[in-house]
Amino acid sequence: MKILIPLKQVPDSTVRVSVAPDGKSIKTEGITWSISPYDEYAIEMALERKDDDPSTVVSVVTVGPARSRDALRQALAMGCDDASIVIADEAIPPVAIARALAKVIEDAKPDLVLCGKQASDDDQGFIGPALAEVLGWPHVATITKAVPADGSVELWREVEGGHEVWTARLPALATVHKSEKEPRYPSLPGIMKAKKKEIPERPFTALGVDSSGPMLEVLSMEPPPARGAGKILKDGDPRHLADQLATALRDEAKVL
Amino acid sequence: MAVTSAETGFDLTLTEEQEQAQRTARDFATERVLPRAAEIDEQGKIPRELLAEMGRLGFMGTYVPERYGGSGLDAVCYVLIVEEINRACASTGVVLCSHVSLAVDPILQFGTEEQKQRYLPALATGERIGCFALSEPASGSDAAAMRTSARREGDGWVLNGTKNFITNGSIGDVAVVFAQTDPPERHKGIAAFIVEKSVPGFSVGKLERKLGIRGSDTAQLLFQDCRVPAANLLGEVGEGFKIALSTLDGGRISIAAQAVGIARACLEDSLAYAKQREAFGKKIADFQAIQWMLADMATEIDAARLLTWRAAALKDAGEDHILAAAEAKLFASDVAVKAARDCVQIFGGYGYLKDFPAERHYRDAKITEIYEGTSEIMKLVIAEEILKE
Repeated sequence: MKILIPLKQVPDSTVRVSVAPDGKSIKTEGITWSISPYDEYAIEMALERKDDDPSTVVSVVTVGPARSRDALRQALAMGCDDASIVIADEAIPPVAIARALAKVIEDAKPDLVLCGKQASDDDQGFIGPALAEVLGWPHVATITKAVPADGSVELWREVEGGHEVWTARLPALATVHKSEKEPRYPSLPGIMKAKKKEIPERPFTALGVDSSGPMLEVLSMEPPPARGAGKILKDGDPRHLADQLATALRDEAKVL
Repeated sequence: MAVTSAETGFDLTLTEEQEQAQRTARDFATERVLPRAAEIDEQGKIPRELLAEMGRLGFMGTYVPERYGGSGLDAVCYVLIVEEINRACASTGVVLCSHVSLAVDPILQFGTEEQKQRYLPALATGERIGCFALSEPASGSDAAAMRTSARREGDGWVLNGTKNFITNGSIGDVAVVFAQTDPPERHKGIAAFIVEKSVPGFSVGKLERKLGIRGSDTAQLLFQDCRVPAANLLGEVGEGFKIALSTLDGGRISIAAQAVGIARACLEDSLAYAKQREAFGKKIADFQAIQWMLADMATEIDAARLLTWRAAALKDAGEDHILAAAEAKLFASDVAVKAARDCVQIFGGYGYLKDFPAERHYRDAKITEIYEGTSEIMKLVIAEEILKE
């Protein structure tokens, strides 16, 4: 089975985010970049398949600036077989990114495409479903397990109080909520193997896909207001405390 | 090459692989080791599965070539990893240091092709743990005064004697053991042997109870008519002392990296505490007395790290690193002990309690001034090197 994961490089979750002087973006100088966490789950899910069946081929691809190569290199070091990059330095409409990925997928012909359910930078969750739409493939969202069967795949989703199991004909696309195990660390031998692999690149413009599409524009960005001090209710009997709590939630916090 | 070397000039940039190795080690140390550090110290043992995980990640054979089952990286990568693991837990860190620098390294440097093929793959993957048996009850710094004897008998050797203070002594599967073959010859009579734990006549004596690095085992090793095949002689007879000194040169680089890791733990924990603890109506980080301690710690840690990286880079370049290793170890261990003292001071009364990490750092730091050559021996080595011109 051939599994392909489109991934996105995002600021690492440990980065203390601050707003850039333009007031519309975050400062990116000197920050650590990583594979978006849900994409890491998708990689881990694919690699777990590969652990069970070594004939599985796991590919990763990204559309982004040249620095995104580091994220691909990390995916290779985790154990992915091959990687490629579509270089796009300018912001591209998300639907055009989906078209570019579709083009890569038409060439690579994977059986299953696993996307992280959303990227941790803008949290739009757009690319997965849009890509399935462009490809005309079946799509199951926010899965936690993928079990290949003959010509199809069983896709598990967590739902209230249990789980749903869907079967999709291959090729299919799923977005990943979580893998069974935590994503593995890139091992040192993995890092050395990754070093020896070529990462072919193509400029976005060379793909010949339609680059039009709606774009969101960020008008301004500001840090959330500093959190005020908490309030501890401790005087009085439980009934009185509950009254106080309900009043505070309604009148002060305005959540009731 | 990451740092100053004759060919590349002055360059402190890590390579992509070195950065990736550092990141893997940092993530692993933060997520898997740090949460267990207090328990490892308290219980006096490291979960074997944690060491196995370090083996699977390739840490236990960082710079062993791939053809011997290692990761094929370099000594600079190794010190980056050692710093990260020790930042989380000095007990776990020293298991790695002793295994790689003191057991794997001498086999890699001095072993025959057959010995390397036979021992390195299992050691480099952490499947087997190694240890280094040089010190004795009556000889530490004065290693040439050792009493453990090796007697030639038939097609092998017979070892008798006791080794002391052996890190990984009880968990180790393979030991590099030094013994005297000809006492009047003093250091020229010493030979090194690769001895497997399973060999009859080789047993583990008492386990030491220690001030710090309590999760790491320190054992006495006993050799009673222990027969070792001739094929397990490491190097030539008479080369043992040279092998021991050369191994310790490398070992000092890894203890320097350990000290940097412990000192960094002190700094990071101090910073976090000073930014939230209040006294006299403000954060204690706002007091100059605290700021000066933090500034000294940060500066000294950077200096110690650079000395350590330089020593590792020289080792990678195959250049003489005796002086660089001794300077790094002397300075970094001093920095760690001072950082630990200040860390406890910044934590105040809480620094004296086992509920906070400062107390553990204080106990863990001290050993770095003692093992693999005391600070006094480091000064002798440095003086000898700078006076010999």
